[in-house]
Amino acid sequence: MSAQLILAIPSKGRLKEQVEDWLADAGLPISAPSGGRGYTARIEALPQVEVRLLSASDIAGALESGEVHLGVTGEDLLRERMVDLDSRVELLRACGFGRADLIVAVPKSWLDVDSMADLEEVAHLHLVRTGRRLRAATKYIVQTRTFFAKHGITDYRIVESGGATEGAPASGAAEIIVDITTTGATLAANHLKIVSDGVILKSQARLAASLAADWDAGRLAVVRQLLGLVEARARAKGSVMLVWPAEQDEGARKALAGLVAGGARPRANGLLLAERDLLAAQAALASAGIGPVAATRPEHLFEPVSVAAETLATRVTA
Amino acid sequence: MRLEPPVPLAALAAIRAPFAEAGAAPVEVPVLQPLALLLDLSGEAMRPRLFVVQAEGGEELAMRPDFTIPVARAHIEAGKPEGRYAYEGKAFRAAPEGSARAEEFLQIGVEIFGNGDPAEADAEVAALAWRSAAAGGRDDLQITFGDIALFGAFVDSLALAPALAVRLKRLFTRPRLLAAELERADLGDAARPERFVNPLEGVPEGHGASALRQLWGIAGIEPVGTRPPDEIVRRLAERAEASRTPSLSVEEARAVRGYLAVSGAPMAAMYAIKALAGPATESLDTALAGWSRRVAKLVERGVPEDRMTFAAAFGRAFGYYDGVLFEVRSPVLGDERPAAAGGRYDGLPARLGAPSALGAVGCMVRPARAFAGGVE
Repeated sequence: MSAQLILAIPSKGRLKEQVEDWLADAGLPISAPSGGRGYTARIEALPQVEVRLLSASDIAGALESGEVHLGVTGEDLLRERMVDLDSRVELLRACGFGRADLIVAVPKSWLDVDSMADLEEVAHLHLVRTGRRLRAATKYIVQTRTFFAKHGITDYRIVESGGATEGAPASGAAEIIVDITTTGATLAANHLKIVSDGVILKSQARLAASLAADWDAGRLAVVRQLLGLVEARARAKGSVMLVWPAEQDEGARKALAGLVAGGARPRANGLLLAERDLLAAQAALASAGIGPVAATRPEHLFEPVSVAAETLATRVTA
Repeated sequence: MRLEPPVPLAALAAIRAPFAEAGAAPVEVPVLQPLALLLDLSGEAMRPRLFVVQAEGGEELAMRPDFTIPVARAHIEAGKPEGRYAYEGKAFRAAPEGSARAEEFLQIGVEIFGNGDPAEADAEVAALAWRSAAAGGRDDLQITFGDIALFGAFVDSLALAPALAVRLKRLFTRPRLLAAELERADLGDAARPERFVNPLEGVPEGHGASALRQLWGIAGIEPVGTRPPDEIVRRLAERAEASRTPSLSVEEARAVRGYLAVSGAPMAAMYAIKALAGPATESLDTALAGWSRRVAKLVERGVPEDRMTFAAAFGRAFGYYDGVLFEVRSPVLGDERPAAAGGRYDGLPARLGAPSALGAVGCMVRPARAFAGGVE
């Protein structure tokens, strides 16, 4: 039996559900082994995979150390854990959920502050007036430091925040905050506004591979299968398959020549096309008198090679 | 933690000797310093270099990354007007990843507090750093000077709009923003920021804060934090004013670029700066005269003039230095690893709670670097 490939997924909360739904939807449902205490699980379709349930931030640490081969967690957490993220992990895929922005926010009452340039000036005024640096409450220390340095802000300091960061300006623990937001409702409720060019990261959940993990041909083959399925499922979602009667094939092809030129792919007595082109295709076929035409959605749409999996293979075998 | 290679006792004694002759009182300061204070004084750029420790339930402490702040604290707590202190001990800095630098290292140094002639004190301290470093036996040492305050005097000579002058001086320590500012000058009107309209335009003097509160009320804004309304009112007006007034002219930008590029023998550098200056040279002339005296006193104290360099752009990334600063470097060690360094930090004592203005200047030598047989 070849060695196991370890995939870490979040152990709780909304993100856990989303990751499980995402894998199940791709045809890789997770099943907890009988008698397990909930910290490991399996994927029936890929027996070589051991699923490990970790907290979202521990997943970033496990990817850094190479304890796990693959992990799904928020990009914000990955970037906070590893300054040089791109040299430590390969980001295989954006998952399309777990979206959140890491932003800089200031009190709404600061009518003179719109941009990071304003903030740079106000931070300096604060230092001159109080002899102390402007305080930014955050748990995202690394990204705050890098972003503020990029904007030339030096007269500030970070106050580490354990939770409820958005309350720091009102409680007097800090003047401004750097935090994750999804809808902005919490910021508004705390009388804060986002600085116009203060979006540090547009984050979402990512499937990432550790470059420090122990890789071999067997494990890379599993990544190809897993990624192949996930990518095929995502590709399928935007696609529609049309099938028309064989005797009308010539007319149908003529009617849809424009779409083929635009990237739709001919199939035997049919066409694979992007969902957004469905109505245009149907109109063209109808006016050419073609029918009945069946339109179906593919479950998966496989390509022979996963570019992301091959990139990983090159990086870990180089 | 990585240690330094040992320095033979005889070499260490030679490096230490100039400090013993400086007439300074030996001082011991705690290894552990309040983290919040260090970050507040040195800035966030220092955080990745600090080793942080914490007793259960206690405040976060950092192992001293140098002696300047601890010695300044000790002086201010002692409540004396003047003081000269010599120290010797370990300081601690986390090395950047992949670097083989020592993280625990010996420093010997001096800090002088007082309101005497600053040029005299600068020269004394820099000469001390030079003699101590040179006692380590390296024959390729150079001393590089910068002067943060000199840039301010140079900007004053250009007779710019006050807001622009204030902004430029601030940007000296923010190279990226300064570069952007100079670039804007080249682009001319095309790069002018959008006109900012002050929502309190026309509100009479003295009524700004109450007008701002009314505006908050109308807009349904609840103020949070302790920023004074007056500061917001003032800055709204300044922002509007700044968006109306022209940025640097092409000629002014050229002068600033020329200033930043000046690097060479100190007196030649001063002539070059004078040649680049604008029409209002009063404070610049004073500063340049200060440098003539400084160089003369350095030579008097045994620093060879041909080993001195003045680099106008040097000193842009140092936390609390605000005047003259210097580094004693060796090409073998590289510019990133000075054998000795120091400078003036007149602004720091007040921020540490000194009751009145207090001049402050100091230097330190790293014996393991100064020692000619050493590798670090």
